[in-house]
Amino acid sequence: MHHRSRSGSFLDPRTFLLLLLIANVITFSQISLWIEMGWIVFVDSMILLSGKYKMAVKWILLFCILLLLQYIVLPASPEIIATIFVILVNYSIRMFPCLLIGSFMMREISLRQFVLAMRKLHFSEKLIISLSVTIRYFPAIKEEIYHTKDAMSLRKIKSSKKLEAMLVPLMMSAAATAEELSAAAVTRGIENPIKKTSLLTLKLNFNDYACCVIGCLFLVGTFILK
Amino acid sequence: MSQISNSSSLKGKDLITIGIFSSIYFVINFIFMLLGGLHPIMWILMPGFIALFTGLPFMLMCSKVPKMGAILLMGVITGLIYFITGMFTVVILITFVIACVLGEVARFISGYYSVKGNIVAFIFFSLGMTGSPLPIWIMHEKFMAQISGQGMPDSYIKSLERLSSPVMLLILFFAPIIGAVLGAWISKRLFHKHFEKAGMVTNAS
Repeated sequence: MHHRSRSGSFLDPRTFLLLLLIANVITFSQISLWIEMGWIVFVDSMILLSGKYKMAVKWILLFCILLLLQYIVLPASPEIIATIFVILVNYSIRMFPCLLIGSFMMREISLRQFVLAMRKLHFSEKLIISLSVTIRYFPAIKEEIYHTKDAMSLRKIKSSKKLEAMLVPLMMSAAATAEELSAAAVTRGIENPIKKTSLLTLKLNFNDYACCVIGCLFLVGTFILK
Repeated sequence: MSQISNSSSLKGKDLITIGIFSSIYFVINFIFMLLGGLHPIMWILMPGFIALFTGLPFMLMCSKVPKMGAILLMGVITGLIYFITGMFTVVILITFVIACVLGEVARFISGYYSVKGNIVAFIFFSLGMTGSPLPIWIMHEKFMAQISGQGMPDSYIKSLERLSSPVMLLILFFAPIIGAVLGAWISKRLFHKHFEKAGMVTNAS
């Protein structure tokens, strides 16, 4: 009950969603690298301001390396290496605006806050439940695959059967998890039609408004330059 | 174990089942999306590969949730997550919506329990991914200009240009159909081999 007033994140989940939308528009329109770079500097300074210094440095370094590869290293390297990596590097640079804001959001926002934000934005309750299960299940898939790999290395499995041996346990455990999770969720009243309440409250503050304004400026810039 | 509630609207359990299988579907989908970046031919065949390998989660989801809206919800979730990763275009959005609606219609007509109906729905659903490479044909000039403006290497653009023939467009649409049929067939065999024994899937025909 300590942090009731503010959910504790630097930005509101809704602000993140808006910024994500803008990042998508920037990625689509692809007008100039400058807008993209400006965007990355903007988001990265947000990460810095929120106190995640390590993350900010890591991402900006990564972006610099990608730019270096794209414009200096790869044009000078032998063709075989270049053709393989150029596409990879190119795609990474293109996706960078979204990746950056997306991973910032993942670090900053808990699933509970995200669910609350989706409710406030009047998403359908059905979509909210399935989507939050989907997001929550990604780490479980990773774990499941490691377990299956461990089990596989204990037995000799022909490489032609590896895929089957990987997929079938994954499906089995997915189905079992679905059963268990539903039982737990029904017990906790997931099917109760009454509007759900939350301990957290979401409120937009100065950070959110500032970010929204800057984000919209980027949007305007994108359309003007087009 | 596999009790299916009779009410026609999606309940908590159905929603969770859809969520979990969408998660698996998305992971497989995403792997091939990334592989599609390696070479244009991989990109064009991508919908086919995805159909081949996602048959199992899709068919299992269908047999667990014989209700209206399951496919649509799976499509919306996939779309929303793609939106976060920034790989979503308007063309994909359109093909995805059409594919999901057609899939729902196929299941509605076949009455949700028929395996054949689910296979048809899966074919439609798989065709939704064709929206990813489709701009090569429908917005050819603009797409080529954009991609060369992004600093893509000449060899990539040249091979893309070579591949943008009408024949490849046919292949783009036939690959997911063949992939979906094969994927559904494989998953049917695996159902027999593993899941029916475990009592997870009822043997509906």
